[in-house]
Amino acid sequence: MMLRMTGAVLVAAGAAWLGFQAAAGLRSRTRAIRDMAGGLAVLERELELNAPPLSRLLAQGAARSQGIAGALFHACAQGLDNLAQESFADLWRRLTGRLFQLGREGQAVVAPLGDTLGRYDGERQREALAAARRRLEELAAQTEEDSRRMGRVYQALGLSGGAFLVILLL
Amino acid sequence: MTAAESYLQAIRVLPPRLRREALSLPEGDRGKVEEVRLRTGWPMTVLLEGGERPLGGPPVEEEELERLVEIASGASLHTVLDQVRQGYLTVEGGHRIGLCGAAALREGEIHALRFFSSANLRIARQVKGAAAPVLDRLCPGGRLGDTLILAPPGLGKTTLLRDLVRSVSEGERCLPLRVSLADERGEVAALYNGRPQLEVGRRTDVVEGCPKAQGLMLLLRGMNPQVLAADEITAGPDVEALTTAVGCGVTLLATAHGESREDLLRRAVYRPLMEEGLFRFLVRIRREGEGRAYLVEELR
Repeated sequence: MMLRMTGAVLVAAGAAWLGFQAAAGLRSRTRAIRDMAGGLAVLERELELNAPPLSRLLAQGAARSQGIAGALFHACAQGLDNLAQESFADLWRRLTGRLFQLGREGQAVVAPLGDTLGRYDGERQREALAAARRRLEELAAQTEEDSRRMGRVYQALGLSGGAFLVILLL
Repeated sequence: MTAAESYLQAIRVLPPRLRREALSLPEGDRGKVEEVRLRTGWPMTVLLEGGERPLGGPPVEEEELERLVEIASGASLHTVLDQVRQGYLTVEGGHRIGLCGAAALREGEIHALRFFSSANLRIARQVKGAAAPVLDRLCPGGRLGDTLILAPPGLGKTTLLRDLVRSVSEGERCLPLRVSLADERGEVAALYNGRPQLEVGRRTDVVEGCPKAQGLMLLLRGMNPQVLAADEITAGPDVEALTTAVGCGVTLLATAHGESREDLLRRAVYRPLMEEGLFRFLVRIRREGEGRAYLVEELR
């Protein structure tokens, strides 16, 4: 009996954990998108004030940005050492393709920036960064709303699913 | 750096396929290459003393020219846009990429170059000691006198000017002096990330990319020069700036297009130089066999 009870508790806890994980996933996506929007804003400001070469811009962006934005900028700045082998657009697209935290929509906003950064005058680069940042902010607001609404649903589903399984098993 | 090493340094800006082709050039010829020419739709060529020689690879693609500009600018076109608008790009080592393409205009001015059609990678070479044959004549009593170098294009005016600047700045066989150099097109010192890629001496201050007349005045006001140098005097404001400088007791060092003293008197823009007696020495350059001969005339 003790063994069955322990099993039931574990199953219920597991199902609840899955529900909470799904809800946490939504929250972390929102955070990742906000971090990326913040990182792009840093690049935008730096371009406006100093217009440094791309390697320095990305290094400064990496130092002043949080989460995935800082990591992306750092990796891109390092990748520029190999510019003769891989164009910046390819490098950026390859690295943003790994940012699953942004979700497909978030990736689709960030990936095309590689075709603009370093290839046009400062004004046009800033415009592209600003447009991507605004789109990310909208996306973050939308994801936050989804997270609030769906997060509770996932948590409830996890808990009730766990309880249902326990009833079935017992 | 040897001429062959300069070639190897310059071709580092080429995209991988073109670099491999450039490396296929026999080692003995590498030091003789003056330019590497890329034209969309045609194989890459190198310019040697005997003319252009194709390297035999497939035709150059437009994307490869874009990659060349990306590599040369460190993927930072916005930092070199002023140069690109003027049709060139200076890279590490002082090598220069001339660019052609479709010009995008904004308010009648070239705003950018797009759809690159050709590029010309000119290998920078410094001829140290080029000024040695004339230094003693130009520095009576050990101090440089006001000097104008006169020659048609391609005879080495800039090479001689650069070495005179370096020699005077270093105090080689003359009194060391502070030199301020207005290098409008970046051909004398070739600044790259704020550092001259060609030696112009430890006492030399360089302003680049700025119209000569403005550059000369900026240097005169801010750097307290003893010698003011400029390449290719071509317009009235350049002459006015030089005249102002002479009034401040600064020694002048400049170059101009032409073949003889009469050319200077004939052309309206140069006439004031002669009439005001701005220069004490005139150095003319003449081709002599494979080398150059310098003829020094005293003007006053």
